[in-house]
Amino acid sequence: MLIPVSLATIAAGGGAPGRSGMPHAASASQQQPEQATATSKQQAPTKPPTGDESLPLSRPPAPQENLSPTPPSPQEPAHSGPTIVLDPAHGGTDTGARGENGVLEKDIVLAYARMAKSDLERQGYRVVMTRNDDSDPSYDDRAAVANAYRDAIFISFHVSSTGKIGTARVYSYQFASQPESDATGDARRPAPTGLIPWQEAQRPHVDVSRRFADLVQTQLAERFTASPSMSLQYAVRELRSVASPAVAIEISSVAAGDMNSLLAMGSQVSGAIVHSAVVFRATGNGSGQP
Amino acid sequence: MKIILALLAVAVVIGLLSLRGLHRRIEHLAENPSAEEQARREVLAPKVSTPTDVMIRARIFWADGPDKLAPMDVELALSADPLKRARQVIDALITNPPDPAQRTLPADTELVGFYLLPDGTAVADFSDSLASETPSGILSEKLAVDSIVQTLKSNLSMARRLKILIHGQEVETLAGHVDLTGFFELNAAPQLAPPAAAAEAPANVPSRAPTAPQAPAPGGPRR
Repeated sequence: MLIPVSLATIAAGGGAPGRSGMPHAASASQQQPEQATATSKQQAPTKPPTGDESLPLSRPPAPQENLSPTPPSPQEPAHSGPTIVLDPAHGGTDTGARGENGVLEKDIVLAYARMAKSDLERQGYRVVMTRNDDSDPSYDDRAAVANAYRDAIFISFHVSSTGKIGTARVYSYQFASQPESDATGDARRPAPTGLIPWQEAQRPHVDVSRRFADLVQTQLAERFTASPSMSLQYAVRELRSVASPAVAIEISSVAAGDMNSLLAMGSQVSGAIVHSAVVFRATGNGSGQP
Repeated sequence: MKIILALLAVAVVIGLLSLRGLHRRIEHLAENPSAEEQARREVLAPKVSTPTDVMIRARIFWADGPDKLAPMDVELALSADPLKRARQVIDALITNPPDPAQRTLPADTELVGFYLLPDGTAVADFSDSLASETPSGILSEKLAVDSIVQTLKSNLSMARRLKILIHGQEVETLAGHVDLTGFFELNAAPQLAPPAAAAEAPANVPSRAPTAPQAPAPGGPRR
């Protein structure tokens, strides 16, 4: 997919990892970040998040719970620490992996994200979701939700169709060692204007993303014991345009059983995310310098 | 009357035997769903052989368990022509896994084109089935791509990096997860192919300019 020129650059910010690379329209987008998800991969209008609870949930949120990606109202307690952007992968006609018993990845990951949202908010985090219904935002729309916040941590949820059942893997993005050269042979570097290409937005954050991925992987390995002990670095598309720490969590697999079995794994995933976020915040984005 | 009954009985017996044979065939196909694709493949995509083929120990990367690859050395007739050799090792990767559980690429995947540019950039153009039949997931797509990358890296020393196309087009992801807009690194210090060989296209593929290397791309995973 080609990225429109108007979206092809974001401002390369300075400062601490995870707080840089802010889009031009950060302040405006922060007011209404849900508008960033207005288009889907199919360019069909995306329904605004409705908090539709038709999907099975082991822990359905309370009716008064704010499930929309709208920032908290003034009446809500001020959040502390980073804004956690939860990204349930797939959605709509893109069902993702499909289990033999009919479970769909898009439903499981939405339930996982809702569980994590509830647990993170109890810890005082501001939480935003890239989708909270059966819509299918594009990769760039998902990234745009995170890029609307100065202090975002982007977490994408996946359930695989393969892999040893009951294992979890965390991925951060890996670019080639150097930016590709353009036609004139000049490596693509941030332009003198301070702009970097939208598709390179994750590049300044790969180290901090990897540290956060390792934190989450360590926590998941304690809960899913056959999982790898360290995170993996790979070119996972959803992470590439996120201008903040970004990881993808993939649970194996849709063959684990029925929906209830898979939802039970979601509590473990949520616990790992909350613990990792707390440690990440306490250690200064994993740098060891709070 | 007795004759009619006897004929009917014979017909019933023959019918039952036929059904049993049909049932066995269905069971066989269910156990080995790729058999039909492989048979079709043998007709449509015959093995590549050249006068320069010699038996060489090639290193092919198949799945070793559900989440990792392992190299396996196999004796293959490989061409001195790097383009033909690339097709031969990818064909082996697709068609000859030691066990069906070790398969990393869909059985009816075809390498429809392979190019090697003078700067060491390899371009592998696969059929649609690579994208449409690879199981959805980061892990499964990673195994598929890594098996291609590692196999080419081990058997094509003149290739520096790899671009993967699907049916002649650059695609955003393999099956929804792994980013294919960039390049995958092969050999850091490649032995560059001679210009004549580098310019040659596979014999059974229409000559056409690869599109991907001309398009700006952010880069692929480093290994």
